Amino acid sequence: MKNQSTINIFLLFASLFASLNVDSSEPLSGAELINNNCARCHNSRPIQEFSMSEWKVIMPHMREKAHLTGTEVQAILNFMEIAATPAKAVKVIEPVTIAVDPREVLTRYGCQGCHQVQGAGGTLGPSLDNVISDRGKAFFLRKVKEPQFNNASSAMPQMPITDEELEVLAEFLSPK
Amino acid sequence: MRMIKTIRLATLLSAGIVVQQPLYAAESSDRFVFVGYGDVKYESADVAGTDAFSARFVPIFLFSLNDKMHVEAELEVGLNEDGETETELEYADIHYFLNDNTTITAGKFLLPFGQFSANWHPSWINRSIWTPGIYGAHGSSQAMDPMLPILSDVGVAAQQVYQVGSAKVFFDVFMTNGPRSEAEHDEEEVVEDDHDIAFARLFSPTTTLDPDVDEDEHGEAFPEVEFEATSSDNNSNKAFGGRIAVAFLPSIEIGTSYYQGAYDEGGQLDIRANGIDINLISTHAILRGEYIRTETDAFVERDHEDVIDSFSRNGWFLQGTFFVGHLFEELGSTEIVIEHAQTKKVEEAERWMVGINYWLDPRSVIKVGYEDTDVADGPDDKRFAVQFSYGF
Repeated sequence: MKNQSTINIFLLFASLFASLNVDSSEPLSGAELINNNCARCHNSRPIQEFSMSEWKVIMPHMREKAHLTGTEVQAILNFMEIAATPAKAVKVIEPVTIAVDPREVLTRYGCQGCHQVQGAGGTLGPSLDNVISDRGKAFFLRKVKEPQFNNASSAMPQMPITDEELEVLAEFLSPK
Repeated sequence: MRMIKTIRLATLLSAGIVVQQPLYAAESSDRFVFVGYGDVKYESADVAGTDAFSARFVPIFLFSLNDKMHVEAELEVGLNEDGETETELEYADIHYFLNDNTTITAGKFLLPFGQFSANWHPSWINRSIWTPGIYGAHGSSQAMDPMLPILSDVGVAAQQVYQVGSAKVFFDVFMTNGPRSEAEHDEEEVVEDDHDIAFARLFSPTTTLDPDVDEDEHGEAFPEVEFEATSSDNNSNKAFGGRIAVAFLPSIEIGTSYYQGAYDEGGQLDIRANGIDINLISTHAILRGEYIRTETDAFVERDHEDVIDSFSRNGWFLQGTFFVGHLFEELGSTEIVIEHAQTKKVEEAERWMVGINYWLDPRSVIKVGYEDTDVADGPDDKRFAVQFSYGF
């Protein structure tokens, strides 16, 4: 009898919450979602490890495991599409004649999803504020181009960033 | 009566079938992925007198039927001591994404009780070589009597995710076939390897490693409870429970879980469990822990009458992982892991574990660990192991 009433409570509870649909008022970027969720259980996997076709099957699996919403899964897949796009394709979309804004570069590649810049951003990776003053420009340029060169377990994706964008970003992050 | 229960189950599955929102349309080539993990381990255990290599391969099959339905199955394949290949269906379920933040799951699924079973148990994710002392199963053989060693069970579950300000709130509920009395199984069944021993002693609040001795400190006998998932139920009462968690991502997740299931044929004797889990993540360290308290009903004789009494146990583990390579770059991707676990009442034990992990890449790790278990009423246990674990 006791078990029966608890089952009823369970079903009522399940029915109530299954009928609700609460949207996040401030949706996060795909990079932020990767920063916030993957490392809760395991190292973030490099985006290039799987093809986009594979990620589209893996992410529904992770949706249930990590308690992600469908909207969040789509945001992550959108970010993965950007990260998986070859740099040459980006060059076509962004002609080099257009002046590059470093903040746009930070946004485009979701850098602040995992790194802090001027106090804003994620914590999966180290802050970028002092990366050039502490480690040098050469380290910064190589780290972006070859993310795993100094740490085999680094989850940083190899972004399709152009040389021009990288130079602008290095200048922006250099000590003034 | 059975019809009413069937209707109730149907109610759960169909509850709140509301406006459907296609999230993304799977292309024909985006349907199947083969992933998983595996490990190779060398372990030397003094009490068990074992000194051997072992290996496991755990493939996971993922299949997207469409943008609303996702099928997943995980097999664990390993070798036993006689060289025979053993397979276990760890989970095989279908997720139905009811709406943006609700998922219904049916089949054999990882039980959302705490976080170890549902999320941390794969060897490339678990920072320790061994299962925490309060958990058993999943290939573990250990000196500590586990608290609630359920990895997965067969039934239905529902999950809901809310964003509340800067926090996320997770709700999980489930209904499964549940536990059964171990005495109902074939007594001729021989418990041979580590894996079976773990299952046989899934919940055995006894003062000895011998699963045949069923007495607590007062000499009162009660049956052992077995949790291994089956496609049958020895009574009409389903086990049920769930978890509520709050997460301030990416740093903190705290949850509380509940489990209740009748294990005898009459459905009179329950096992109830409460749990608290915590997961703290920072750039330089991870702190994971769980506390579990169980109460098991049993018939005891009082004044020449059988009455139901409850026996309680509790236990906890805390595991700290420190990314020393973040502090000293020359150490690369090296981690130090320290874990402490305790179980109290009926079967008391305490364990310390220290380990060093070296990551070859984000999903391949070499772990070296030492574990020392102090058992109150039994032989202490010391183990050394090296494990190479990989996710793929």
